[in-house]
Formats: sequence, C-alpha cells, structure tokens
Amino acid sequence: MAGFLKTEAGKGLALSAPASLYVGLLVAGPLGILVAYSFWTQTYVDIDKTLTWANYIEAASDPLVRHLMLRSIAIAGAVTLATVALAYPIAYFIAFRTQKKTLWLLLITIPFWSSYLLRVFSWKLILGFNGVMNSALLTTGVIDEPLTFLLYNEFAVVLTLAHAWAPFAILPIYVSLQKVDRALLEAATDLGCSKLERFLRVTLPLTIPGIIAASLIIFIPTVGDYVTPSLVGGSQGKMIANLIQVQFGPANNWPLGATLSLVAMASVGFVAILFVVTTTALGRRIR
Amino acid sequence: MNDQNIIEISKVEKRFGTFTAVSDFSLDLKEGEFFSLLGPSGCGKTTALRMIAGFQDHDAGTICIGGQEMADIPANKRPTNMVFQSYAIFPHLNVGDNVAFGLRKLGLSRAEIKTRVADALDMVELGGLQSRKADELSGGQRQRVALARALVMRPKVLLLDEPLSALDKNLRETMQLEMRRLQQRLGITFVMVTHDQYEAMTMSDRIGVMFAGKLEQVDKPEVIYARPCNRQVASFIGGMNFLNARMTGDGGGRMDVDVQGFGALTIDVNPNVRIHGTDLLVGIRPEQLEIGADRPEGYDGYLQGTVSDVAFYGESVHYYVQAPGTDDPIAVAVPNYFHTVDHKRGDTVWLGVQNASIIDLGARESQK
Repeated sequence: MAGFLKTEAGKGLALSAPASLYVGLLVAGPLGILVAYSFWTQTYVDIDKTLTWANYIEAASDPLVRHLMLRSIAIAGAVTLATVALAYPIAYFIAFRTQKKTLWLLLITIPFWSSYLLRVFSWKLILGFNGVMNSALLTTGVIDEPLTFLLYNEFAVVLTLAHAWAPFAILPIYVSLQKVDRALLEAATDLGCSKLERFLRVTLPLTIPGIIAASLIIFIPTVGDYVTPSLVGGSQGKMIANLIQVQFGPANNWPLGATLSLVAMASVGFVAILFVVTTTALGRRIR
Repeated sequence: MNDQNIIEISKVEKRFGTFTAVSDFSLDLKEGEFFSLLGPSGCGKTTALRMIAGFQDHDAGTICIGGQEMADIPANKRPTNMVFQSYAIFPHLNVGDNVAFGLRKLGLSRAEIKTRVADALDMVELGGLQSRKADELSGGQRQRVALARALVMRPKVLLLDEPLSALDKNLRETMQLEMRRLQQRLGITFVMVTHDQYEAMTMSDRIGVMFAGKLEQVDKPEVIYARPCNRQVASFIGGMNFLNARMTGDGGGRMDVDVQGFGALTIDVNPNVRIHGTDLLVGIRPEQLEIGADRPEGYDGYLQGTVSDVAFYGESVHYYVQAPGTDDPIAVAVPNYFHTVDHKRGDTVWLGVQNASIIDLGARESQK
C-alpha cells in the first residue's frame, strides 16, 4: 500500500480522493436518487415505485413547462450576453490600461463581501414603485408618476443577475487577456492593422476561451436560478426553477419535480455544448 | 546596394522620464544595405529600432524613410516590417494564415494571396507547410515564418530585433548565412539589432556600434575591427590587448610612439579616433602577435615575458604573457596548425609585433 502511494498514479488518486469521495457521496448519490424519483409516481400519501415514463411525457406535453424552460434559457442567455458585454471592457481595462491591477481586482470583488440575498434585495429597493430610481426621477421632474416597468419582470431579473455575476465574468476574461503576448499586438500593428482591426483579429480570437468560460459560469447557474426571479421577477419573470420549487413544495409532487430538474439539466447541457461548439467554430474563422 | 538613401535619421533623441535612452542618433542607410546595430543590452539599440518601426515616438530629431518624414505616420502605415525577437507568431492561426495576415489588408484577390504566401514560404524553405499549426513549429521554423510574414509585405526596410538569439548555435550559423543570402537576393534594406559581434560581422555590410544611447562608430565590419574609434568599441568587437603609449613625434599620417613593454615603434594615425593626444592608448589583436621560445626574426617590436595562463580553444590556443612594464597579461592567439601546445605556464617566451598591428585608439584620458 505504501509502495503504491509512491507511484504517480497512487499520488494522483490520493490527492483526488477527498474531492472524489465528496462529489461521489454528495453529488452523484443525490443525482441517482433524483433519476430514480423521476421514474416513480406520486400518489396522495405515498410514492408508487413502479417505473414509468409518465412524468417525462407530462413534462414534454405541458406547454407551461416548455414556456418556462424557453424563458429560462432566454433570460439566462440575455444575462450572459449582458454580463460578458459589460465585463469585457472592464477586464480589458485592467489587463491593458492600468498598473493597479490588484487594486482593481480587489474592488471588483467588493460586492461579494455582502450576501447575495442582500444584493438582490437592494435591487428591489432601487427599482421598486417607491424605490430609489423612481424617487429620483420624480424629484427631478423627469417623470410625473412612478415607472412600473422597472420591477417584477424579465428586465429586473436580467439587470440584477448581470450585476451579481459581473466578477465571475470579469475574472476569466481578465486572465485570458492577461495571457495575450503584447508582441502579438505589435506584430498585428506592424502588419498594417488599426487598433480596432488588431482587436478583432488578434485579441478577440485569443480570448475566446475566457469568453466561453465566463459564459458557462454565468449561463448554467442562471437557468436554474430561483431566488432572483422570486424576488424581482414577478409573474412574467418566473423561471423553470420556480416551477420545480412548486413541485417539491406546495404541489408535493417530487417525481415530477425530479423530472423537471433533469429536463432542465439536459436542456442547459445541450445549449451549453451548442454554444461552445459554435463559438469555437466562429473563432476559427477569424483570420 | 545603390547610392540612394532609404533611411535618413538625424539627431534623434529618446528619453524615458529622466533616462536618456538614445541621444544624438544620426544615421543614413543605403537602399539594399544590411545594417546591424550592435551593442550591449540596455545601450538603446532596440529603442532605436522601435523608433524606426514607429512603436516608439522620438522626442527630438527626424526619421525619414524613402524620403518621407515619419513623425506623423503611425507604425501600421510605415513602409517597414519587423521580425520580433520572440517571433510573435499568432498562435490562433496556422502558418499560411500567419503569413497572409498583413496581405488580407491589401485588398488582394484570394488567388493572389495564396500565390504570394506560397512564394514567401518557398523563399524561407517552408514550402507546403501552410496548414501547419503555430504550436507545432520548431524554433527555427518559427523564425522562418516570422521572416516570411514580414517579407511577404515587400517592405522598403525589414527590421530585425535580435532575430537569431533564441536559436541554438548551429541553427543560428545556418540562419545567418541564409538570411544574408536572402537579403542579397531581394535587395531589401535590413536593419538588425544584435548583441552578438560575430553575427553582426558575418552578416552586415555596415555595423553601428552603440553604447549608452550613443552611436560610437558606423563602418564596415573589417574597418571597425581594424580601426576601432576607441577602447569601448575595440573591446566589444574581438579580443584586444590594451597598452599605454607615448607619442614622441608625428607627421604624414604616422607617428613615433613609445609603447609600454614593446618600446619605440612607428604606427599609423587612426582616422576614426576623435580625440588625439600625447598620452595614448594603443591596441594589439591577440592573433597579430608572434610568440616563440626564441626571439622571432623580422618584427618591429619585441617583449620578453612569462606565460601566466594557457587556454585551449580547439581552433586556436591562447597564451597569456606577463611581462615587466605592462599591467595586464598580454593575450596571444596562435592558430592550432599542428595540434601542439608549444608553451606552458611559467615558460619564458618572446613576443614579436609589427608596426602595422598596433592600433591607435586616441588620447588615454578620453577613454571610458
């Protein structure tokens, strides 16, 4: 045994054992239970453990599920797009235009020092009927009555999440920008490129891995987010996770909830793979 | 090479804060010339090159390329292209697309681009490697791609920043010859920055030797070797023994001198020296000294001393001879004709020198 631990493979296994054990017990295990549940049926007081596709058939045929799933993906897509688009210039600034990189990176993590719930709630205070935004606009006379389209809709969800995720997008993009050899930029200039062309033909394609990482980090958890839509989403901002929560809570239909969770997972996986493949392919076309 | 000046640089200066990187830099380069800027690291040679390329602006003076003043012309519009020290091969593009990078800006047809890329790759002996990925290239291949990528733009001037320093010795020597041949065939002006004296001497039509931001001497390699303008230049290129001397009389481009250790000799006045004086510094190349156990015949100056060190270099043997009346041991290089090492430490030997081998390096107090 001691001999085995001295080999490369042994060392590798020993090092990864705690994490593997943790993941095995606390992720793979529950996932297995979820899969099992999705093939069972809820009776009034009990679970009927006869295997059946009924839940999947219901999930596929219910227009509400499809609607919420598509909306979740659309909202997550919008959040990802908004966050990456806002994060890229900031990451670019830190990587290329300032000497105080550590200070800026520290400042960017400041929102994390307060609770996520608190931050979502703050947006509620800012966007609400009597919120900061409306009060300010009313006082300055820009509007006569409070704007109601600010809160309790998809817009509020996108805005809140784009803010919450910003550091998660900035960091991977910053890392990929930081890795770009400055000599490559000079080479592009030397070969006749203006600054914009240089960005589009060298910097952007070289930072695609960072963009992909940032997008996945944001997109995947956003599709399944449940807190933000509950707090600022209103009825038009409800997402698939809210429906899943209902199944496990008030509706007390765990098998259907489990099925919806797995369907959501599969959909996210599909969209994510599609995104990675198309983005990589697009990046290869830049010459 | 013809007599047309392609680059005219006049009194250029560059400061970084309080540090003056380049000062009073004036240089005219002929069309089709292979010119090297040679100097130790930090002497300002790369800054000078980057000012020509347009990556660095200059604080004073003028830079003209092809008769056009460059002050308001950004790097991407200049008729120059550069081979970077790190080669700067675009890692997301294959070899063909790297070489085609600049061409795509010129509004050429696909077929034209394809032909020019193929020709450029053939030229650097990488024909057919268009689809090779950047990370699959060896150091020498990367260097060739960088060269092809710059030359395919048909620049008036090709700038090379230490282009061979990342290669191992054998490959470097091959590339030196190849680049020289390529340059002569294309007739494009090459400006190369290097800290390697041999590279500069073997490749260049002319060399500019730089120290502390100043161009000390610009001339053909053989002239810089034979008639360096001062101690700094003399010691940077080739080996050199430095001896003190005193002028006892002069006239007609020659002067009588009393050289430390060797005594009275008559030597040529070096036209490249800027500050002459009575108290002189003179230099003797190690390979121009004769050494023997007996006093050799037919020399103008002699010195007797003791061998203090012997260094075997393969193609030559270096003896270091300590003599009364001299400060440092005098180095003598003897070609290894007969596979013999004739003297050993502690031997008493004679050194002989011809008048013509003594190089006047100017007034002693002017030397850095």
